[in-house]
Amino acid sequence: MATKKKRTPNAESDSWVVIAADSVIDTQKHDSDPAFVRLRNPATDEASLYLLGSGDVQLYEVKAFQEDFRSWFIGQAVQRDGKLLFVTPMDPLYLILPYLIKSGKEGKFQPVEQLVVDEEFPACSRLLSCTRSLASLHHVTEEKEVGGRKFHRYSEEKTMSWLKKKVERTVAALRMRNVCVGEGVTSATYVRVKPESDGREEDFLRYAHGLLSEYISEQLSKALLTHLGLPEPSSPKEAEPPSKKRKLSDKPVEAGEDYTKFNSADFARKPPKKMTTAQKSLAKVDKTGMKPMSSFFSPKVKAEKK
Amino acid sequence: MSCNTSVTRLCVSSVNEAQRAPVHLTPCEIEHNGPAQVSQYFTATTKNRKQEQTVSFRGRCLRGQELSCPQGYTGLVLKEINKPGSDQEDRTVKVSSVFDKLTYWNLETPPNSDDTVVMAMDWPELAEAIHGPVED
Repeated sequence: MATKKKRTPNAESDSWVVIAADSVIDTQKHDSDPAFVRLRNPATDEASLYLLGSGDVQLYEVKAFQEDFRSWFIGQAVQRDGKLLFVTPMDPLYLILPYLIKSGKEGKFQPVEQLVVDEEFPACSRLLSCTRSLASLHHVTEEKEVGGRKFHRYSEEKTMSWLKKKVERTVAALRMRNVCVGEGVTSATYVRVKPESDGREEDFLRYAHGLLSEYISEQLSKALLTHLGLPEPSSPKEAEPPSKKRKLSDKPVEAGEDYTKFNSADFARKPPKKMTTAQKSLAKVDKTGMKPMSSFFSPKVKAEKK
Repeated sequence: MSCNTSVTRLCVSSVNEAQRAPVHLTPCEIEHNGPAQVSQYFTATTKNRKQEQTVSFRGRCLRGQELSCPQGYTGLVLKEINKPGSDQEDRTVKVSSVFDKLTYWNLETPPNSDDTVVMAMDWPELAEAIHGPVED
């Protein structure tokens, strides 16, 4: 092929391929339908797409996995957009936390429904309907009860120990999945490890910290790093990804599509050592082999600007 | 700017009318949305060898593998119905198809455990660790 064929712009799709927790489509308990809503993403401070389950009792994260040059065959039809969305249960406390921190600066004990308000994202008050929200506030606030009414004040100390427990849970899950986290693999990467290589504890901690940093502000992420006793990465190569990631995640999304948003990029997969002739020629245009893995594990499903 | 107040309702009752459809993830972008004779020209020519499947598509050899949805998860194809004219209005999606496994295809490379979509299937388990309740 002498000239590269021009691609037509991808028009907004009206169809999405989703892998969703069974509880999303469980209609037994409530009569109201689940709803995709835009809420403030705690890491980017911008709109991301989430799902509130039937009756608002459960919050779900909507995460897109996407590679270049993928499309779907669904039954007897083609869907050009090859993205795969995952809808997984999410801890609502991550989304509530920024509001608590903001009002915590006043230092007063306040009723939580007065704290979780946002003109830009009115749906945020629905987070308080989630079963786990009120029950888990004590993980991040000090509570006072006066006349049967509860008042809360943000506590960084409690938040740090809550986040540390989250990190520990995540480390345990990573160990179980045999995820390779060590030796030159930075936190947001994701590679299977051969059974003989055993990651060091610090590598697991850093990796888990990287995953959790997708759900907290940059400031909190840094504080957590200190709390975990991990020094800030010293080499410039290691230090680069977080800032780069945040910058990229602020990019607007292409072509009027609600369900996409990826940040990038700490890690490039190694291309296969031996390439066939066909692969070599393809490699010139097809960069999928180099696509950073972290982009597939980013939670930023951001609403686009129109 | 898009409106943060609009919601997209997922019409859950549509699951009951949704059809089971075979789902394939192709290793190429196809510039088309809409009907295609998939079973006649694609599915009919796939060959099964143990775990791996092969098919010739536009003269290229594709190698594929079937993947099951993670336990406790269901595959859904959501379709928007009655698209509104403005982004201020609420939208509705319905479940048009359901699936519990999908077939993903690589161009010439044999399917392996480092393939993105294979690793994506691990995400729910990792998400559970990040989002599950912590003890006091």
